Amino acid sequence: MIIKSSETKVEKGTLALVLFGPVFGLLYIFLLPLTAAITLLLAIPEYASARKATVLENSPMCITCHTSKGLEKIFMNRERLSVFVYTDDFNNSAHTFLRCTDCHGKVSMATHPGRAFASRSAFELETAEVCGNCHTDRKLRANPVHAYLTNKINAPPLCTKCHGAHNVKRIAEWRPAETGNQHCLICHEQKISKRLNNGEKLSLYIDETLLSASVHNRHACSDCHTDFSMKSHPLKKFDSSRKHSIAVSVACKKCHPDKYTAVSRSIHSTMVREGNLKAPVCTDCHGFHSVGPKAVYDTMSGVPCRKCHENTFKVYSQSVHGMARTSGEHKAPLCSACHFAHEVEAAAMTDKIRKACLGCHKEAEDAHKQWLPNSALHLSAVACAACHSPDSEKGIYLRLYDQNTGEPFTEEQMLELLGINYEGLSGRMDAHGDGIDSSELWNIVKQLNRKGADARITFLGRMDISNGIDAHRLTIKKNAVKECYSCHNTNSDFFSSVTVAVVKADGRITRYDAKPEVLGSMISMLSIKDFYVLGSTRLRMLDWLGILMVFGGILLPVAHITVRILTSPVREAKRLNRLRKEGRR
Amino acid sequence: MNRIKKIYLHPLPVRIWHWINAVSFIVLIVTGLQIRYREILGLMNFRTAVDVHNFFGFILIFNFFLWLVFYIVTGKIRIYLPPLNFRKFITGCVKQARYYGYGIFMGDPNPHHATPDNKFNPMQQMAYLAIMLLLIPLQMITGLFLWDMKLFADWINLAGGIKIVDTVHVFLFLFFTSFIFVHVYLATLGHTVTAHIKAMVTGYEEMEEERGH
Repeated sequence: MIIKSSETKVEKGTLALVLFGPVFGLLYIFLLPLTAAITLLLAIPEYASARKATVLENSPMCITCHTSKGLEKIFMNRERLSVFVYTDDFNNSAHTFLRCTDCHGKVSMATHPGRAFASRSAFELETAEVCGNCHTDRKLRANPVHAYLTNKINAPPLCTKCHGAHNVKRIAEWRPAETGNQHCLICHEQKISKRLNNGEKLSLYIDETLLSASVHNRHACSDCHTDFSMKSHPLKKFDSSRKHSIAVSVACKKCHPDKYTAVSRSIHSTMVREGNLKAPVCTDCHGFHSVGPKAVYDTMSGVPCRKCHENTFKVYSQSVHGMARTSGEHKAPLCSACHFAHEVEAAAMTDKIRKACLGCHKEAEDAHKQWLPNSALHLSAVACAACHSPDSEKGIYLRLYDQNTGEPFTEEQMLELLGINYEGLSGRMDAHGDGIDSSELWNIVKQLNRKGADARITFLGRMDISNGIDAHRLTIKKNAVKECYSCHNTNSDFFSSVTVAVVKADGRITRYDAKPEVLGSMISMLSIKDFYVLGSTRLRMLDWLGILMVFGGILLPVAHITVRILTSPVREAKRLNRLRKEGRR
Repeated sequence: MNRIKKIYLHPLPVRIWHWINAVSFIVLIVTGLQIRYREILGLMNFRTAVDVHNFFGFILIFNFFLWLVFYIVTGKIRIYLPPLNFRKFITGCVKQARYYGYGIFMGDPNPHHATPDNKFNPMQQMAYLAIMLLLIPLQMITGLFLWDMKLFADWINLAGGIKIVDTVHVFLFLFFTSFIFVHVYLATLGHTVTAHIKAMVTGYEEMEEERGH
């Protein structure tokens, strides 16, 4: 019975499933989406009305107070900040859908308005940090402009600095009319910076006043920053601020190709290519965005050379040229008058400076002829500063030069001819490291003039100032050396210091100390055969020979007279004998 | 007893040349020493020494050509030229050297008797030929080179460099300085101490005429 009854129940259930199953299935398939659609449709007006909700509606309690003008927050450092909120600003902002507490989350009615901040900046920092709740670092990194801001060590400005506080808008909406430089300055007029690979901080701040005052004030930022535009802001990475300067200086070439070419031939550029990070590039002298007119750099205060050559500039300032310049004598030369502004070359041991001197002092050659014997010879073998900077340290510089070409024989030529490297050369020049002696000097000349060599190499001497700084210590004419004796004696300062100066192709020199006695050695007749200073470079051996010869010249007659005196009795006896013989006849 | 005879040994141009030469040599030596040893000597300032040295250097050059022209034009240049007979020349040198080194002490007569046509004994001939035709010209040339190194740059280069030129000039200066002592001493070896010197003033050399000669 029980079994029968249960079978009847099963039959009824199956029938119900067959009848109502499809109905429920259809309802499930169509009814749920329908319900969802209806719900959504019902929600749209609500959503729309929420977007358009005003701050008054969103945060009516806050607005009650913060729409009162004159309401101020006083910080612990006595700074004041108006806490008045322009509701219109907020209503027109990108954040109009938010409630005040969405950003000012720490405000609690239990404590408000009692929260204390040390300063206005502390308050701004806390409120700006809230932005990160929605605008996460991950999102910011996707935008090159903001990418560096995500790294806190770059000391990014507060979000509110660029975007404002309650009036925050998208940039495009914020300053839609601002194009060109103003577009860039939206961010770059802020004190923003970025960290470079070596940890240095590179300021990206542009002082608009300096930019406006510069000679480039009519240029668009993208004229120099060519790969940047309103649509493109590539992320660039630099190892250091120096590498950054070197990289950006290339931009100058676009408008100043002649100057750029001149600079690329300069000693500065050579040093940059060699990896010397202290050597200047365009921006080191002219600045980045504050490039001034030429006249700015041609003043005592504006000359950029002094940044690196401060010691030289100090000496120059006290020189006849520097003082004339300071007193307003505009003809007096500043650095670039002698060294040139862009094609700066190594000055030591060259004729370039002499030519620069004579370029202004056109009468100097004739003036020297009036009183200085062999003036042309003096002017070629003695540096101008050697006499016109009388208190400076002086010395003799021996340079290798090729008699066939009349040109200096360079270090590069030496290395090639000898088949050695730079370190090897140092060993050959001064094997014992105690200063080059006369045999070593001769050895160098001998090796360079070996059979088969095209050049005829010898050392040429030059009287010069020992260091470049002293070369700027030029004095007034009446204080210049005019006394021949100053140089033409062995005790002259010049001859206590002898340096072998090996000139590189770019004009720089490698200095090797030499022993002063090399000038008076007999071997120097062969190694320094074209350098001779009357009375000063005399050969010591010749002095001894002279003493011997003169002594011999005196001794011979004295000895002869002595023998004659001693033998006079013999002659007297002989004379008497002869007289006696004559008497007998 | 020997009689004294006078012969006209030194014509006037030769005497003028000689004394100009003598003064020039003295001045050049003194100024040369002053230039070279400025820190030891203080006779005059460097510039004066150089100027005076240059001036007398040119006097010496001019004087040399006076001598050269006179001796060539008059044909007297042959008194400087040793005889072609080399053996005779060497024998004469040896005899003369023997006289200066021995005979003069023993009271032997000078083997050489100066005549206007044969003024120099073989040793003098050899010495003065080298001095007048080699050493003085060399001294003049090196002096000229040192006077203006720019002007004579190519020649200096050809000579092997200014240092070599200077060394030659200084070496000859030392030689002439020492030679002057010997020269003056030899000038006292006439029949009297002043005989040769007087001859260079008057032109007439007094010499003993040995009997039988």
